[in-house]
Amino acid sequence: MTEQKRILIINRGEIATRIAKAIRELKHIAVGVWTDNEPHATHLEYCHEWVRLSGKTNAETYLNVPNIVKLIKEYKIDAVHPGYGFLSENTEFAEQIEKLGVVFIGPNSRAVRLMGDKAISKQCAKEAGIPVVPGSIGAINTIDEAIKIAKDIKYPVLLKAVHGGGGRGMRICHNDQDVKNNFEAVGREAKAAFNNGELLVEKFIVNPHHIEVQILADKRGNVFHFFERECSIQRRNQKIIEEAPSPFIGEDEALRKKVCETAVMLARAVGYDSAGTVEMIMGEDKSFYFLEMNTRIQVEHPITEEITGIDLIVCMIQSAFGEDLGIPSQEWIKRTGHAIECRICAEDPITMLPAPGEVQAFETIFPQGTRFDHCLYRGLKVTPDFDPMVGKLVTKGLIRSVALRKMRAALDGLLLEGLKTNIPLHKIILNDERFVKGNYTTGFINENKPNAKVNVDVDYQKIYRILAGIEARKMGV
Amino acid sequence: MRYYLTKEKEEYILDLIRTIRHTSDIVEFHFKALDKSKTNYEKLEKIFLRKLAGQYFTSFDQIHWEKLARQDIPTKLLNVNRVFNLHRGFRPSGGAAANSGSLVTQMPGKAVKIAVKVGDKVIAGQTVIILEAMKMENEIKTQIDGVVKNIFVKEGDALEQGVKLLEIIEEK
Repeated sequence: MTEQKRILIINRGEIATRIAKAIRELKHIAVGVWTDNEPHATHLEYCHEWVRLSGKTNAETYLNVPNIVKLIKEYKIDAVHPGYGFLSENTEFAEQIEKLGVVFIGPNSRAVRLMGDKAISKQCAKEAGIPVVPGSIGAINTIDEAIKIAKDIKYPVLLKAVHGGGGRGMRICHNDQDVKNNFEAVGREAKAAFNNGELLVEKFIVNPHHIEVQILADKRGNVFHFFERECSIQRRNQKIIEEAPSPFIGEDEALRKKVCETAVMLARAVGYDSAGTVEMIMGEDKSFYFLEMNTRIQVEHPITEEITGIDLIVCMIQSAFGEDLGIPSQEWIKRTGHAIECRICAEDPITMLPAPGEVQAFETIFPQGTRFDHCLYRGLKVTPDFDPMVGKLVTKGLIRSVALRKMRAALDGLLLEGLKTNIPLHKIILNDERFVKGNYTTGFINENKPNAKVNVDVDYQKIYRILAGIEARKMGV
Repeated sequence: MRYYLTKEKEEYILDLIRTIRHTSDIVEFHFKALDKSKTNYEKLEKIFLRKLAGQYFTSFDQIHWEKLARQDIPTKLLNVNRVFNLHRGFRPSGGAAANSGSLVTQMPGKAVKIAVKVGDKVIAGQTVIILEAMKMENEIKTQIDGVVKNIFVKEGDALEQGVKLLEIIEEK
């Protein structure tokens, strides 16, 4: 048995639970964090020790690097797992703790620096001979500069934060006026979310497919890929449904091999040594461009785990300590079946805007083989301070239609009361003809408007069920 | 027993007409909903509830039973895209009549930018305040043409749901 390490999880919600499970499996010690806003968070149940982060806003708690570094020393932490969001792609933090001799569970800071910055990562990809989307090289500072580049590469363009991710801090601009209007707002959003307001401009590809390749590398020079995921169902440039393998690539094994090997090539070029994702954008003609590399574990990692049987978080921890991943060669990695993930968010299914609230009831009646990574419990208050995602529902089947059938059943069996969620929207999408055929692009939600098809009539039967429950309780049944 | 479901101006009234206790753990309820005119009833619905292994199951036909998620007696009721206030037996007094000229926060958030000053002329559809909630910036737009009379919040304020942001006097 290897030496027992004390691992701090600087995150919350379902990913903190997921990481804690992996740490327990490896017989290390999981140290979780909590704040005054969330003293009952579910991930704490899975941790061995707890650390309180004082403060109210995210900047004072999860993003407060000096305080976290102080706590790392005080609690004699050996390694830190950042999850996704928050400090997961913050190079300064990774470097600071590396200086203390603490292991950052993620790629080396050089790779994060190269890939975490969208401008530099594009340059790197170009040098490695990987096709990239046309756009600005490096950050832009003024509106005029942005307009000049936008004219060069032709509208529509995407204005986005250099340090962005998760769909935050980016807007589509169709003309000069849009750039003028959005420049300041995107900068502010970027500053608030990532503590860095630098922006860049790039060409917006119409009707694209969002394809990404899961990479896993170790400190011994091995780089493996775990096939692709398609995440084209997006709203506000944020994914809501993901599936693996991509129905757009489908049976085209040659294309699949080319896409995956391109991703491995890039990972090798930057000396990557952890779990990461190479995001690509694929046009109608199946030409693909490198978009960005996410140097962290991703929200949608479960679908890759479901089709390949790997445990990415466990491997990520093993890789960080320089251990063997137990993967003999790329040929050992086989995929079977099809997996699909629906992100359950606390949001209005019609407007798709966040809707905070309190969970009054939460129970599940799932079909066999359903995986639900979540942070829900009765009494959970969803606040506007964090991302509205509260859970990830994952189903799999040997063929895509079975995975879809299981997902429909799972959505029906997810009993959640008191909180508006996008479950009705997911149900509409899963029954949409275009989605069922597997032929959809990132414009799916804007074009098909599944949110407008949600039936908003009052469901009397559902109300009667709940009223019957109230009456029965009052009667003492 | 009468139930009221309210959300702003929407209101639904549902009456429990009859309760029949078949056995110690099977109960039948008859519900009727008032129609839009609030004078006539819609059709009668019979619902059965049984307790099994400490859980409630409900059915409309006594063949297909569905589990009811365990919850305390709720005061709010979710229906697709609306969360209704649920009142048992009585209607609360003083319903909130929203002033058309005042803007109220629809969700908790932080005011990041106030784009107008007191005395400014605004036109319908103009952005007056930018509110940050769940890491997204939301532009709050005025629905009417008019003049800004009062601003009740400052930039940087953390706001709860239902807070008055500003008041606009309508101009014709």
